[in-house]
Amino acid sequence: MATSRPYWRGYLKLSLVTCPVAMTPATSESEKVRFHTINEKTGNRVVSQYVDSVTGKTVEDEHQARGYERGDDDYVILTDEELETVELETVRTIDIEKFVARDQIEWIYLDTPFYLTANEKIGDEAFAVIREAMRERDVVGISRVVLGRRERAVVLEPRGEGMVVWTLRYGDEVRSEAEHLTGISRGSPKKAVAALEAVIKKRVRDWSPSMVSDPIQESLLKLIASKKKSKTASKKSGSKSNREHGERPSNVVNIMDALKKSVAKELKSRKAG
Amino acid sequence: MTAHRAQWKGHLKIGELACAVGLYTAASTSDRISFHMLNQKTGNRLRREFIDSETEEVVEREQQVKGFETGNGDYIIIDPEEVAAVVPDSDKMLEAEAFIPCDQIDDVYFDKPYYLAPADDESHQAFTSMRDALAKTDVAAIARTVLFRRMRTVLILPHGKGLIATTLNYDYEVRSSKEAFKGVRKVKVEDEMLDLAKHIIDTKKGDFDPAQTDDRYETALAAFVKAKAEGKALPKPKPIKVSKPNDLLKALRESAGLDKNSSKNPKAANANSGKKKSAGPGAKNASKAKTKKAS
Repeated sequence: MATSRPYWRGYLKLSLVTCPVAMTPATSESEKVRFHTINEKTGNRVVSQYVDSVTGKTVEDEHQARGYERGDDDYVILTDEELETVELETVRTIDIEKFVARDQIEWIYLDTPFYLTANEKIGDEAFAVIREAMRERDVVGISRVVLGRRERAVVLEPRGEGMVVWTLRYGDEVRSEAEHLTGISRGSPKKAVAALEAVIKKRVRDWSPSMVSDPIQESLLKLIASKKKSKTASKKSGSKSNREHGERPSNVVNIMDALKKSVAKELKSRKAG
Repeated sequence: MTAHRAQWKGHLKIGELACAVGLYTAASTSDRISFHMLNQKTGNRLRREFIDSETEEVVEREQQVKGFETGNGDYIIIDPEEVAAVVPDSDKMLEAEAFIPCDQIDDVYFDKPYYLAPADDESHQAFTSMRDALAKTDVAAIARTVLFRRMRTVLILPHGKGLIATTLNYDYEVRSSKEAFKGVRKVKVEDEMLDLAKHIIDTKKGDFDPAQTDDRYETALAAFVKAKAEGKALPKPKPIKVSKPNDLLKALRESAGLDKNSSKNPKAANANSGKKKSAGPGAKNASKAKTKKAS
């Protein structure tokens, strides 16, 4: 996967120690099969643009601004530069306030993962000291940082030569367990548990990224390839019939059936094997 | 039984044992502050319009289709029905394919959590047996099925009286930490610094409840907007002082509360930071002084 540019640059702080850091996303959609919106009539890409809702005229990038709604239809215009000066320490600094055991953070709160590294050579040593001390104490750090104009609670965890930073969900974004997991008994039939334990132990495997492959994406790519082929073929033979919307060359239909079957087959074989 | 509607209903299966279950959204991410886009010149709201990239004419919704770029601005039109046809019919069966030791779970793959609960009375015994067997063996179950129109892998773990099924990101969506940290320079950490940092950590150990976090940005932004509207001078961000390698040990000592002199006498501590231009020799002197204090 292509190296991603830093999503956020700022400072990591532990008490009086401060070092420059950079944060990059740990996940990316860049390799997902992506469809664009096309104008059916011309075959050109459809793009969006901003127009003034009153005058109807196109508004260029440099005249687009964010408006903070103070009251009904009453906006205060804020530029990006101004927004950077909003006074809150967490806009630029991840100040580690607290350290806790990893298991104190329930998985349900983990929202988005990022990777954190020292951003300049000057911070390498300070970053490494903080990271190694956390690793030896077997704790994660708790802090806050403003991302996407929201102040998020974050968890910092040493990982290899860097750290993983998780943004955490707010309390009101997590549905209550009591609402969904009610009426379930705490106990369980002993014999059934023992039998299941035996089944489970036989099928313990090492984690592998192949467990999260995407057979449907592979099928989509095949579908696209087959359509590309038939498009070229029809161009060569001069046939216009394929260009009409709604008419599908018969080989495409066939290949789709085949793809569908192959995905279903893979699913079955994984379960059996 | 829960009154909420399940996002998905099907069966959970381990070995030959199966039970009816429902998946319920356990968490969501909400956007909070939403700004409106305005025309800076007129102050009017902006509206989004979809146009043809070449002809610049407005393209109505019914004229918009999905296409895949094959290079050089060439597109293959894909019918949504064709995409849907690639997705196999769901067997509505979350069958455990493998079990992963809990300490091997790479949480970077986590996408969205769902509560998993028994869907009918007959399923309770099988459900609680699976929950407790997973807990006892300290593993997570890996299962995959068609969920929300994609074939998804989920990781199933005991949670309270029920289970949590977390959808996982696909392999091509996750950057491995190894790759992300490949270019990072390895630094040898001095024992004294490490001990000081560990001491600082010990003084900051505590409990944390993520549910109690509030968003202070909204308040700060509201204050900022008020100041701007009243024509007050906008604050300038304060410069951030980075710890220089030469000052690192000193900063750690002060943080750990060991450097009593400097904390009692803030003037002395500020003397160095004030002389920014002579940082070179000043820093050297400071580190010499530290060595004396330590011995």
